Amino acid sequence: MTAVSVRNVSKVFNQGKPNQVDALSNVALDVKQGEFVSLIGPSGCGKSTLLRLVANLLEPTSGEVTVNGKTAAQARLDQDYGMAFQQAGLFDWRTVRKNIELPLELKGWDKQQRSARADEMLQLVQLPEFGDHYPWQLSGGMQQRIAIARALAAHPPLLLMDEPFGALDEMTREYMQGELLRICAATGTTVVFVTHSIPEAVYLSNRVVVMSPRPGRITKVVDVSLGGERNEDTRNRTAFFEAITAVREGLRGMHAAHVGLGNDDR
Amino acid sequence: MTIHRLTMLLGKVVPAILFGALFLGVWEWAVKFFELKPYFLTAPSSIWQQFTTNFALIRGAATVSGTNALVGLVAGTVLGVAMSFVLSRFGFLNQLITPLAVALNAIPIFVLVAVLNNMYSITSEIPRRIMVTLVVYFIVLVNVARGLTQVSPTHVELMRSYAASDVAILRKVRIPNAVPFLFTSLKIAAPAAVITAFVSEYFGGSQNGLGSRISSNIANSKNAAAWAYVLAACLLGLLFYTVSVAMESLNRKGGVKQ
Ligand SMILES: Nc1ncnc2c1ncn2[C@@H]1O[C@H](COP(=O)(O)OP(=O)(O)O)[C@@H](O)[C@H]1O
Ligand SMILES: [Mg+2]
Repeated sequence: MTAVSVRNVSKVFNQGKPNQVDALSNVALDVKQGEFVSLIGPSGCGKSTLLRLVANLLEPTSGEVTVNGKTAAQARLDQDYGMAFQQAGLFDWRTVRKNIELPLELKGWDKQQRSARADEMLQLVQLPEFGDHYPWQLSGGMQQRIAIARALAAHPPLLLMDEPFGALDEMTREYMQGELLRICAATGTTVVFVTHSIPEAVYLSNRVVVMSPRPGRITKVVDVSLGGERNEDTRNRTAFFEAITAVREGLRGMHAAHVGLGNDDR
Repeated sequence: MTIHRLTMLLGKVVPAILFGALFLGVWEWAVKFFELKPYFLTAPSSIWQQFTTNFALIRGAATVSGTNALVGLVAGTVLGVAMSFVLSRFGFLNQLITPLAVALNAIPIFVLVAVLNNMYSITSEIPRRIMVTLVVYFIVLVNVARGLTQVSPTHVELMRSYAASDVAILRKVRIPNAVPFLFTSLKIAAPAAVITAFVSEYFGGSQNGLGSRISSNIANSKNAAAWAYVLAACLLGLLFYTVSVAMESLNRKGGVKQ
């Protein structure tokens, strides 16, 4: 079954006004259950917009988005996905445990169920002793792990992530990539992941979707043939470098065209 | 930890006390040395003497002004918080009223008490309390409305991704976000309430509060007594401010980042 299906979707902001933006034009993408798909491309190419359309935080101007065979709106009402952003977005006035419990509170779970699930999630992200801390007492990487725990607390089949490791240093970042893969393997979660980093996209993904701006669209899809098991050795394998090259060429081809356009404009 | 905090506190308090003592000493010495007339400058010792001999009267006057300030502070806070909810619910109202509230804060609206005095009996404390209420109301309104509306966009997107209702977003995001804003506004509003209560007394009504006692003693050339009432006014303002600061730090202990 397809976890996410995006069919001929376009998104225009401020239609008909002088500041009209064609954020996405005719985008089509299918994500299979259990698949890890990354969206990569320069700023403003519509990655976040595409993710928000899947999350039903935005409505498409035309086209159709389905999640788990439902409309995106229904999937949101059913909390079929969890979401994580570049800012961990934890609530400073709640303990770590209460942060993880928030989506469950909104689902109307009772206290015992919530508490049991929070314990399970703290184990999953390997921070069991931090439940009663406040978010600001944690490092950036730990906060981001709690944000992932919160996104997965209701056991959603789909995880949507918008540059979640963008604010972390390189060391923490690589550690978090390993953690994310471990968590997804343990839970069988499908992931759509927005990033600026080519190695990050390749290391994590089954497929890397390359996008380009003005209007935002998909220009290339790179299959990454690294198999399911990934570890530190993965980063030294030939297939890893081949995929990196393929993604880079996809981005570069577009960059050349983009520069050309810029010159024409002037 | 407690020892450490104690020494830190002493480090702040001791220099302040030393400076205060030095200031009073120089003041006292200057009055004696230059033989300044009491109507020009009164010595701290005679102010203190007036303060202790008239203590019952001063306490009575402080109770009157303090009660006016407190009633207005509570009423203004309740009304300000209530109105901030209305404003945050209707964004366009917010855009209309916030600039108005800011403008009203910039002009000394307590002169309105002269008008209010005409509306009530001459002995009524109500005009003064209304005046304090108004001043506090706008301070609380502007700050709390800001706390309710200036929430992190990430938080709002998260809540929408959980299909949270507007009421749930209000309860779980906007209100907790506004709580520190409320305590900050109280820290501003509490001293303002006391000042407004004093100043309101200059515009007529009963001659029973600290403000009217200061002016009547000055009118009778009893400068030391006037200063004793000024001292009481300072202490009352300090009391209101200290309580509001203590409330804020108690709230912080509840876990919100310093
Ligand atoms: N709410 C909005 N209103 C108007 N324009 C928007 C809005 N959101 C995004 N855009 C525009 O749409 C384009 C794509 O934005 P975005 O999806 O955030 O790009 P990316 O995440 O790839 O950097 C950009 O030009 C951006 O300025
Ligand atoms: Mg983005």
